[in-house]
Order: sequence, then C-alpha cells, then structure tokens
Amino acid sequence: MKGKEFIKKRFFLIIVFLQLLIFNQVIGQISNIVSSVKIGDAKEKLPLAISAELFSAENISNISIAYKTFGENEFKKAEMLIAGNTASITLPPEVVIPPYLEYYLIINLRNGSTQTYPIDITQGVSPLQISVSAVSEKEKEIILLSPNPGEMLSGEELLISISFIKAPENIDVSKTKIFLNDADVTSYELLTGDLIVLSGENLAGKIGFGAKLLTVEVYDKEGKLYHTISRSFQVVSTEVALAVSSKWKYYGNLKGESRNENYNSASTWYNNISGEFNTSNNDIRFNAFAYLTSEDKENVQPYNRYSASFQAGDWLDLKAGDSYPIFPNLILDGARVRGFSGSLNLGAINLQTAFGETMRHVEGKLLQTYPAGTVPLGSDIILIDKLRNIYGQAELGTYQRNLLVVRPSFGSGENFQLGFSYLHAKDDNGSIKYGARPQENIVIGTDLKLAFDDQNFMFTSQAAISVQNKDISSGTITDAQIDSIFGKNSNLGISPSDFKKIRDIVGNFITVNQYLGPWNPQEFSSFASETALSLNYLNNNLRASYVYRGNDYQSFGQTFIRTDVKGINVVDRIRMLDNKLFVSFGYESLKDNLQNTKVATTTYQTISASVSIFPRVDFPNITIGYNNYDNNNGLNITNTQTAPFAVSDNTNRILMQLSYDFAAAGIRNSSSLSFTTSNRKDNTMAKMDANFSSGSLTVNSFWNQQLSSIFGIVFSSSEIQGTQFKYVTLSFGGKYLMLENKLQLIASLSPSFGDFQRQVLELTADYNVLANLNLMFQARLFRIPGASTNSIIGLVTRLSI
Amino acid sequence: MKAKNFLIVFIIPWLIGFTSDQNLLLPGDTPVALVKKIVKDVSYKKAGQSDWDLAKTGDALFDGGQVKTGSKSLALVLFTDGSGLLKVRENAVLNIYGQRNNKQIDKNTYIDKGLIGFEVNKQEDAEFKFTTPTAVASIRGTLGFIEVGSDSSTTISLENGSVEIQALRGNRGSGRVTGGNTARIDPLGNVNLNAASDEDRKKNSTTRQLTTKKVKIKTPQGDLEIEYYSTGNN
Repeated sequence: MKGKEFIKKRFFLIIVFLQLLIFNQVIGQISNIVSSVKIGDAKEKLPLAISAELFSAENISNISIAYKTFGENEFKKAEMLIAGNTASITLPPEVVIPPYLEYYLIINLRNGSTQTYPIDITQGVSPLQISVSAVSEKEKEIILLSPNPGEMLSGEELLISISFIKAPENIDVSKTKIFLNDADVTSYELLTGDLIVLSGENLAGKIGFGAKLLTVEVYDKEGKLYHTISRSFQVVSTEVALAVSSKWKYYGNLKGESRNENYNSASTWYNNISGEFNTSNNDIRFNAFAYLTSEDKENVQPYNRYSASFQAGDWLDLKAGDSYPIFPNLILDGARVRGFSGSLNLGAINLQTAFGETMRHVEGKLLQTYPAGTVPLGSDIILIDKLRNIYGQAELGTYQRNLLVVRPSFGSGENFQLGFSYLHAKDDNGSIKYGARPQENIVIGTDLKLAFDDQNFMFTSQAAISVQNKDISSGTITDAQIDSIFGKNSNLGISPSDFKKIRDIVGNFITVNQYLGPWNPQEFSSFASETALSLNYLNNNLRASYVYRGNDYQSFGQTFIRTDVKGINVVDRIRMLDNKLFVSFGYESLKDNLQNTKVATTTYQTISASVSIFPRVDFPNITIGYNNYDNNNGLNITNTQTAPFAVSDNTNRILMQLSYDFAAAGIRNSSSLSFTTSNRKDNTMAKMDANFSSGSLTVNSFWNQQLSSIFGIVFSSSEIQGTQFKYVTLSFGGKYLMLENKLQLIASLSPSFGDFQRQVLELTADYNVLANLNLMFQARLFRIPGASTNSIIGLVTRLSI
Repeated sequence: MKAKNFLIVFIIPWLIGFTSDQNLLLPGDTPVALVKKIVKDVSYKKAGQSDWDLAKTGDALFDGGQVKTGSKSLALVLFTDGSGLLKVRENAVLNIYGQRNNKQIDKNTYIDKGLIGFEVNKQEDAEFKFTTPTAVASIRGTLGFIEVGSDSSTTISLENGSVEIQALRGNRGSGRVTGGNTARIDPLGNVNLNAASDEDRKKNSTTRQLTTKKVKIKTPQGDLEIEYYSTGNN
C-alpha cells in the first residue's frame, strides 16, 4: 500500500515537473493594453466581479465587456468602470449560469480605433471562458450556520456552528479543523451528532477584538481535505455590539493614488482620490461614492465618477450622480447616466425613472475655413457662420446627450408584473460649436412577466418601438417648407395641412423634419420584441425564447443591442446524479435582412452541448463543451456576381476546463487547467479560415499562513488566413506576509516567448501602518525586447473609517 | 505544439492517479435547532423536563424542546439544517419538533402564545410547519411573522414567499397567503385573507429589527446593566 502511495506521489511529481519543463512560460493573453484579467468566484446566480488590470489607462476612451451565457449566439455588452489602472464590472446574478460564460473586452481608444482582448476576436480568435460552478454542492452539504458573513458581535454573543446534516457519507466530522485568523481553535469545539458548536463561552479570553477570518477545513475519512469554508466577521466589545445593533452602522474609506507612467519615453504623472461612505440602520441605507482623477479632461468623456444613493427597504431606491440603471433590456441597460435614477416599489403599483446625461459635451476643433463656393464635400465639413455663409473642416466634437426614462409597472413581479416604458433622448444642439448631426430618439415599450409555482414556470415578454431623428440641427420643419414640398405643385399626394397637424402632434415628442425615421414602420423596421418561456421541472431547466429586432430599431439607452435579427433560442440544462452531473444543450437559429436591406438573408445557426461533472470526491471538477457555428446566406460562392456577397462559414469549437483543489505534502493547492480549440472553415472567396488553440494551467499554492504562490502557463497558437502566430507565457509569483502580517509583499514575473515577446515584472508592498491605514507601493515594468521598456510606479494610501 | 500533444501531455496525466472513495454514514444525536442569541430573560427546557433552565448562546434544542421569553426579551433560534431562523419575541413560548429524514429534518413548531418572526429558506423536500391552537401553516420559503393571540386566534403575515394554511377548528378552512398579505384565523376556525395592514407591516418591520436597549443602574455594589429588547414603542 505504501509502495503504491509512493509511486503515485512520484508519478504526480513527475507530471508536474514535465509540465514545468515543457512550458517554461505563463498567463495573460497577448495585449499591449490589458496585462491580466481577474475573475471572482463564478458561482451560479451570484454576482460575478471581473477586473482588467491595464498596463496604462492612457489613450483609452472606454472599455466594455461583451459576454454571453451557454447556448447564446449574441454577446451582451456593458461598460466597465475605469479607476486608476483597473477596469472593473460586476455581472448581474441572472447571467451567471452554468456551465460557463464566454467574454471578451472591447477597448475603444482615444484615437477612434478599437481593440479587443484577446486580440482578433473578429478574425476568429475564441473568446475567453469562465467556468461557472453550480451553487457549490459542497457548500450545500456543509453549512456554516453562524456567524453570518460580516456579522459584528460581542465575545459573549459569538457562536460558530457548522452543520454536517447534509454532508456526504465519506466525511469525518471529527477531523474538522477550525481556525480563527491564524489560531487553531478546534480543541474548543463541541461535537454533537452532525453539528459542531463553538460558543463565546468556550472561547472566553482566547480571542481578542477585531476582524476575524473563520476558516473551516473539512476532511474525509481518509484524512484528505474535502472542502474549505471561509467567512469574515468581527468581534467587538459588548458596548460596541450594542451600539451597532441599536444605532446607525457606518463604514467608509478614502484612497489616494499617485503614479508615474513611463510609456514609450513619455513620462506622465497621474493622481486620483476615491472615497466611499456607507451607513445603514436596519432597512435604511445611504451610500456615497466619489472617484476623482487627473485623467478627467474636457476633451474626453468623463473619467470621474460620483454618486449618492438612498435605499429604504425594497420599496424605495434613489440615486444621484453616476448610475447604471436597469430597465427592460430593449430600453435601457448598461449605459451610464449622470443625473438621477430611482424606483418606488409599492407592489401593486411601481414607478421607475432615470434622467440625466449619457454623454458629456466635448468641443470639436476647427481645422480650416472655406468661403461659400469653395466648400469641398466631406462628412466633417460644417456650416460655422450662417450669416456670412462660411463653412469649415472640423474635428467633430460630441454633443451632450440627455436622456429621460419612465417605467410605471403593476404587480410585484413575484407572480405578475406589467410595465410600460417611455424613453426620450436628445443631443443638446447648443452644447458645442463644432459638431454635426445631433440626434434625438424616442422608444416606447411594454413588458410582461407571469410566474407560477415559485417561478418554476415563468413567461416573460417585452416589445418596443423606436423613432429616431438623425439630424435635428436644422430644427423642426417649417410651414413654408411643408408648403413648398407638399403644396400645389407637388405630386406626392399629401395634404400640407394634414402634414402640419401630424407635425404639431408628433412635434410634442420629437423634432420633426426630413431626418425623422423610420420611413417604413409598416415593415416593423423599428420594432423589437423578445419572448421567453422558462420551465424548471424534473431537474430540467428549459428556456425557449424568440427575438425580433428590426434593422432600424434604436434606443440611445441601449447602444450595444444587435439589430436586424430574428429567430429562436432553446437551451436545456439538466441536473443529474444528485447534481453531480450537468448536461446542457442549446440550439439557436437567427436570420437577418428583416426589411430586405441586404443582398441576401443570412442564417446564423448555433448548436451547443456541454457536460459538467462535480464529483464531490477527490477528483477534479470537469467541464467539456462543444459549439458549432454555421453562417450561410445561400449565395452561390462560385458565381462571380454573387460570390463577393456570399457568407458561408462553419466553426467548430471544443473547450475543456478542469479545476482541482488538493493537498500535497501538507500544502493546499488550488489548480485549474483549460484548453480551447476552434476551427473556422470559410467557403467563400475571402477564405477567412482560422484555427485557434490555447491552453492554460494555473496552480495557487498555500504553503503556510504567510506564504502563497502562483504558477501558470498559457499556450496560444493561431493561424488566420495562413498566417501563424504562436506564443507561450509563463507566470510565477508569490505573496508573503511579514511583520505580524502588517506587511504584504507580492512579486510576479511573466515572460512571453515565441511570436510575441514581452517580460512583465510586478512588485507590490502593502504596509498596514495603523489598523485602518494602509500604504501601498506598486511598480510594474514591462519590456518588449528590442523595442521598449516601460514602467508604472505608484503609491496608494487607503484609510478606513 | 499541436493541440493533440497538449491534450496528451496535460490532461491525460492530470486525470491519472485521482481516486474516489465512499464510506459510511455518520451516526449521532443532532439537535434540531440552536439558540443563536438571547436578550434578557430567555429560558428553555428539554422534552420531558419539568423545570425551565436559563438559556445561553449555543444551547442545543432537540425534538420536543421549548423556548420561553419573558417581558422585553428576545431569542433567536437557528435550525441546524440551515433552513432558517426564528425570532421569538417577548412573552412567547415556542415548541420545537424535528424528525431526521435521511439528510434533512422535517420541522414543526408549536406556538402556544406570542409572536414569532421567521426567515425560512426555500425548502426542497423537507417540511417546515408552524402549528398553533387554531391553525397549521406549511412553509416553503418566506419572510414574515406568526402571532397567537390570547384568544388562540392566529395571524400570519408575509413580506414575501408563500404559506399554505389550514384552520384546525370549525369548518377547517384553508388558503394560501402570499407576500404583502395577512391571514387571520379566528378561534372558530374562520380564515380571512387580506392585504397586510399598516400594523402588520410595522410588526414585520420591527420583527426584522434586532434593536436592543440597555439601562445602567448604579447601586452601592456597582453598576448593574440590563439589556432588553426594544419593540420600537419604548
């Protein structure tokens, strides 16, 4: 038996060594903007935090994330918040669904160009995947009953309790180890049946006041680590606990950062300060946030962010400043509004509203003037002096765009809700001098939700119609203009007086002139609707939906939405073997050219399948997925007339992800391994064939309470239209706590080899000067051999109150 | 490196060497609930025990156990299967019953008198029932309160979720209470369903709060501190 164990350990070490030897490099996709992306714990129906570390925020206008769940063809997009050198977002719980999410980043640069991360998404490079675990079965099995997350209690009130009632049979409750911060307090536990209890009485005098991290290690009967649970809470004096339970609770922090970026021999200093303050008393909550940076300049969209919010239970929610209000996704979702938003939820009747600025005015620049008669044609040529009839060529600015949305609704939404939405957005024509084509938009929509049987049966539907004016600079059409167009000599067959009546009515809502559209509303060109039925029975979560969006549908509150598309989507997620096995299937068929505005109609068909295994024993969690994307518009690819317009491509993609927590030689390790390969065959004359393969391995090792390390390898190989590109990145780093855990040192090195060569060194020292004051020094060095060596050096101060 | 090679080098070896194992079920006498917090005067007794003992944080409550609160007192009772939390308000008596059914506990509580706030997580197969002299309520997952009056009438008011109720007297009427509504079962067994009144909403709100107050009495022997549960009216 011992011999077998020895062979097994040797074999394991050999494999790890081989992996180290073969791939002498690691982590992070190729990009000169994004250094790495950090993903939070992706668990079913829990918000998911994603942050992108940037080499430099200089030259970036904004960053958005494009993401989609399993079985969907269409990526949803949302703007990320840029603060310092980090762009972050938290995805809402409803999109965090097993087996995995796919995403990529869209980086809009100040020079007007766009990059993606990973690069070349549009050329066929696969997006990144985030494996979403079903609500951890282990967490359902082993329940930390008390304390609650973040709970503040006195020593006498302290109750630590862990329930093993639902634990699997191979768990040995008596082997459980309990740590409070660094201290092992297992010996003070009381074990009664399937329950472990530690009360303040047992721990009297053993623990002091302050923040506590409770760590529970659960072992199986063979002594192997099965699961680890962590929870933070605070132990305070009885007086403080009483004050906290009876008065306002508050929390706040201030953070200041000063950093120097040395980029391509240009040295720039950036300074920013952020502050957050929260206070609550039972159902009443107040939150204030501000982020002010020296990067905020008049010639770009705002980098500063500030907001204040007030919440009273579930029934009142008010926000002022910057917010990202969520309305039905055809109306407003993901856009930043600087102004006011709020909701009043009375159950039977509710009201939700938002108004403010979605784009700040940015003045353009006059480059050259032209007297009448010498004006060249060009989209950047504008009239700059009406009286003297002088035109100019300009770098066009951006108009301030103001938006108002109102949505009254009826019903709480638990079983029924019917809502009506109205959106009006308009560019402020007078906000800048050098601009062109200010626009205006109206959207009217309705949405319905019906749910029964604890929402196991759910029907949702929404529909909206939009009207847009693509140039309101000339204002409303005048009576004289109407008479000249539709008057006596016109053969258009429209009565000028009727037209004036319509103008006066419609003009109450939107500017009426020749740029108002759509012109073909009878073809539903500006109509959009989505209907979905979800059934959650017999371990099946089946969702079928239908979508229709006309080619002219436009909402200024939802600029990311894909238009000119209709079709169905069916996804079934099946849970089997007591939630140890998840099998998912998806089918989607979409068509474009709804208003016959294209040469041919393209059908976009996606077939998806996935298997996820959560074995709950000493074995990795595994997800294997397969996708087939077929796009075809039926045009003959050999006919010289139709071939240039033909669409005929097919992509097969396979992905595999494994994650495994294990202990080796007394060291806890958390590892993940992923592999993706895709192959696109383009049958058209463009021959945009693409092959892409990538793999990564990451191992986090927790050597002791002070030291942890990370090791990773990324391998990527792509071939697009015959051009190959291969690279390998190796990453290794560590974190060390010293001076009684007051000083945290972090270092990492990531060299890349192959067709992409770069070395990145990051050093961080975070010192806890006082209980609530931290000083952090951060240095990043990234070198591209033979090209450049750039650096970012920064100092951050954090103060908590 | 070819994708196939990557597969061979990485994945196949990675999977080798991992084994699974199955073992036996844990035995034991597991409590149905625990006392999570006490304020002022809270006592408990086990099934068959005649005298009440003073309760303290962490006390285990087994099948048939009882919890009693005095004036201005409060007890928080936590079910050990993670199914929820009960807030036993002043001058109430709560009887706890639970039957282990494989990996879950079927729970029943009997309320003699007083007001109990509840936060019950969604129940899968396990039962969670409240029984009073006049009604029985089956809960799947909800937030609200149940109150038994001096005349044995029962009031159940919900902030969200749903509860199936049945009267135990008279014509044994039944019904379903949903969020924002209140059911009243009078001593004769008549069931009345209505939208929650302002008073019900206030009770729900104060039940959720765990506000306590403290008085300090100076005595020749030293300061005496008494913590008590504030209902908001005092």
